[in-house]
Amino acid sequence: MTTNGAPLVRMENIDLRFGRFEALKHVSVDFDAGELVGLVGDNGAGKTTLIRVLSGLYTPTNGRVFFDGKEITYFHPKLAIELGIETIQQAVGLCENLSIARNFYLGREPVRHVLGLPFLDFTKMRDDSRKVLHDFGLRANVGADDEVSLLSGGERQSIKIGRSVAFKNRVIIMDEPTNHLSVREREHVNHLALQLRDQGLLVIYITHDIFQVHKIADRIVILENGVKIADVKSGEMTSDELEQIIREGGRTGASQEVA
Amino acid sequence: MSAQTASRLELFQLVKRPATSVIVFTAVIVVVFSVQTSGTWISQANMTSVLQASATLGIMALGEALVITAREIDISVGSIFGIGALVYLGSASTIGAFPAVILALICGGAIGAFNGLLVTRFKVSALIATLGTLFIFRGICYALTEGFSFTAGDQLRQSVAYAIFGGYEFFGYKDSILWLIAMVVVLHAVVFATPFGNRLLALGGNDASALSRGVHVTAMKWQVFVLSGILAAFAGVLEASKIGFADGSFGRLEELQAIAACVIGGCLLTGGRCSMVGAALGAFALTGIQSFLVLNSVQPQWFNVLLGVIIVVALIGDKALHAWALRRS
Repeated sequence: MTTNGAPLVRMENIDLRFGRFEALKHVSVDFDAGELVGLVGDNGAGKTTLIRVLSGLYTPTNGRVFFDGKEITYFHPKLAIELGIETIQQAVGLCENLSIARNFYLGREPVRHVLGLPFLDFTKMRDDSRKVLHDFGLRANVGADDEVSLLSGGERQSIKIGRSVAFKNRVIIMDEPTNHLSVREREHVNHLALQLRDQGLLVIYITHDIFQVHKIADRIVILENGVKIADVKSGEMTSDELEQIIREGGRTGASQEVA
Repeated sequence: MSAQTASRLELFQLVKRPATSVIVFTAVIVVVFSVQTSGTWISQANMTSVLQASATLGIMALGEALVITAREIDISVGSIFGIGALVYLGSASTIGAFPAVILALICGGAIGAFNGLLVTRFKVSALIATLGTLFIFRGICYALTEGFSFTAGDQLRQSVAYAIFGGYEFFGYKDSILWLIAMVVVLHAVVFATPFGNRLLALGGNDASALSRGVHVTAMKWQVFVLSGILAAFAGVLEASKIGFADGSFGRLEELQAIAACVIGGCLLTGGRCSMVGAALGAFALTGIQSFLVLNSVQPQWFNVLLGVIIVVALIGDKALHAWALRRS
């Protein structure tokens, strides 16, 4: 809960249509600070679409979004980042042609003014990203000036998570954060998600693996065909029961709405 | 990490630096052309015209390089060059030389803004959009001049603006080469050492990732089209001040040379990698080759053949070089 009692993020009756395709249908969901929420559903269920509204990439067709009690009327990633909403996505977030240091600060580059003109503060960019490289256990021979194209998938993911931790954020959205990661790397990421939650951040963890997220989440939200079909505290249901809901989701409550 | 892999990594970084090949290439042609022509090519008389042509082509290539870095293309620069020259020469006698320069730059920027509008707002492919404006504004150039040419009057020739913008000579060289050098320095700093440049390189490399970091991708693409238009019009002004007149075909086919200069200069057409020094050197190499062919009495049409071959070879070579470097690292 925020100071004024409202949830940190409130999404009310969100509809999102792409032409005739309805990606989200009347989705209402609240998220509180200090909560780790698992957002679960099959491929195409609308998980990523919902998150892209929160990260400013999509503007809902209908419905209202509130952040910290204030209604959001303009959707752009820049605004989301300014509000402290950080999204860690599998496919995007790093530009392969740029160095780690340049990627680290992309969009909010630190500057030093020379004759009133803003020049990149390379020293700060290098030092801060080097610290993250060290904290996240990247290979010793990886430097802040190395291009991202030289890094492995796990290393790239580490940099994205490290970047989200380094800045003062209020919401961390992790979109399938452990795909293509080794078992140890996966545990590291899950541990980080819990740490962030304990620091009072809202962590939204997207996955299609209910068993993995059930272990760490406080609450599970299940989407199916763009409709919210479950929103339960983790303690209230076992992961088997939740999996059953996912398996039947498209054919029971949701299918009636579609028809 | 062994010493051998370390040196390979350095080699990889060097090869990947966009301007490396053009610096080597330029050095080679300077030596070969000078020797082959027994010094005529490098003589001041010849260099005066080579540097002048390099300067205006180079400035146009710099604007093109910015657009290419954003993973777009602008083939209308030749026509904007012509419009810039004609607006400048046509309006100088009525509104004065300095305002005429400003007006020419505004026209160039406006055409660039129109290109940007077509690409970002109406989602037209940049190649097609700027092909359209290439023809529109070439047509307007012909229509304005009606088969004649605009000339600089005595009043304009004696103005300070005429001298500053291409008309002044120092040590026998026109001052437009100084403009090129200044712009290379400024744009190099902007692209590689400012937040604007960081975001430009980022969106050229991966626009979805840049957007996810809050970069205003469409606004920035729009801005580079405007910059390209302004630079092309400015190049037109410099050229007009140098030769004192311009006709409807002023700058025709220079768009291809500008693109070739960028490609030779190490700007990848796939975006995200560029070199301002490289684009300027590419322009110098191209005009140097053209002059070399003239000195050897080769028919000028062969230059166009060579231009096409250079672009194709540079593209294949660039890919092969990177593939080779990646294998070795």
